[in-house]
Amino acid sequence: MNRDGKVSEEQLNAFIDGELDTEDESQLFELADESPELDARLCQQRKLKEMVQHAYRDIPHGGTHGARNGSRARVLGLAIAALLLLATGVSVGWFTSFKLAPANNATAVAQSDTYLLHVTTSDPERMRIALRRADELMNGPGATDARRVEIVANESGLDLLRSDVTPFAGQIKALAAQDVLFFACNRAIARLESEGVQVKLVPEANADYSALDRVVLRLKQGWEYVKI
Amino acid sequence: MGLLSGINQKKVFRKILAKSRGRLYRMAYAWTNNPALADDLVQQTYYKALRNQKQLRDIDAADAWLFRILANCLTDYYRARKELLSDDELVIIEKRTPEHEAHDEQLAQRVRQAVRSLPLSQCQIVTLVDLEGFAYAAVAQILDIPVGTVMSRLSRGRRALRERLLDVSSREVIQSPAKMRRIK
Repeated sequence: MNRDGKVSEEQLNAFIDGELDTEDESQLFELADESPELDARLCQQRKLKEMVQHAYRDIPHGGTHGARNGSRARVLGLAIAALLLLATGVSVGWFTSFKLAPANNATAVAQSDTYLLHVTTSDPERMRIALRRADELMNGPGATDARRVEIVANESGLDLLRSDVTPFAGQIKALAAQDVLFFACNRAIARLESEGVQVKLVPEANADYSALDRVVLRLKQGWEYVKI
Repeated sequence: MGLLSGINQKKVFRKILAKSRGRLYRMAYAWTNNPALADDLVQQTYYKALRNQKQLRDIDAADAWLFRILANCLTDYYRARKELLSDDELVIIEKRTPEHEAHDEQLAQRVRQAVRSLPLSQCQIVTLVDLEGFAYAAVAQILDIPVGTVMSRLSRGRRALRERLLDVSSREVIQSPAKMRRIK
């Protein structure tokens, strides 16, 4: 900075953004006192910053787009609250393999009897693993009448629940008969439909939620989350 | 790190994550001007953050880490569609409609339009600094660029905004400047 009023734009920005140290800041204040032009530039920069802040002050928090019906907005508020409640100690399991988490995993300390399996890939092998995992949870060792399992599909994993695409319609029907619930992400559906794809779901699939909202809802309720 | 402290860190992280949804969405919206895409980006950010939370070594850096994931999600989105020209060239082009023209009368709309018309690399920096109040060093970390680049892009971005938004009023300001005073 020098006294001929030539303060770089970077320095002006650093001043406005509180990035200057005290000495440089004081120097710039003194220069601005002596130079109406510099003072005006500083005011402009500050005004510009405030205009940007103002322009985004009332932006909604999202989660209201792409829903197939009105239920999503209702769930959104719950979803936000849900994550807030996560801090109270909900235990979440993060499995990527077919086996349950090892005993020394912190998430295994308080295993729940409710499981949400999340499928995000159209890889048939991963889909098969998800269905097999659901079957094992419902019928394998340790299964109880109280056990509940849901499968949520989004992104390309939506193919699992598309009636004209899935190779697993029979398994889905069989699992649904055992009260496994299937959720197709309504936003993934909306996206495909916006691309001109007609999405037909297997009759067992529920499309009332986005995947994120369903995941967050179940996390809040203490379900184990299993990313396939 | 002991088991207990690990669990505590996880709780703190989820608390931060829970409070971040609106901020992440606002940022994603500022970068894309597309509500549905902004939603998707936030969703991706959540999944990646939850999946990779063990990679977060310093809980104090969680905020910057989340926004870095968001920035990466956007980069991935454009790359997948081969829309990424270069860091400095990418500009979100929006189709103009009569509705847009009508809304332009409102200041906020005008500002958002100006912000989204910036090259993405400038738009991201302006919004990270102005909307989230990130320090330059944090922005550099989020976008994985040098601090000097943050400063130069911020300058270019604000200059462009100034020319669009304050062109007329700037001349008025210079003619009868308001004095800025230090407030203690």
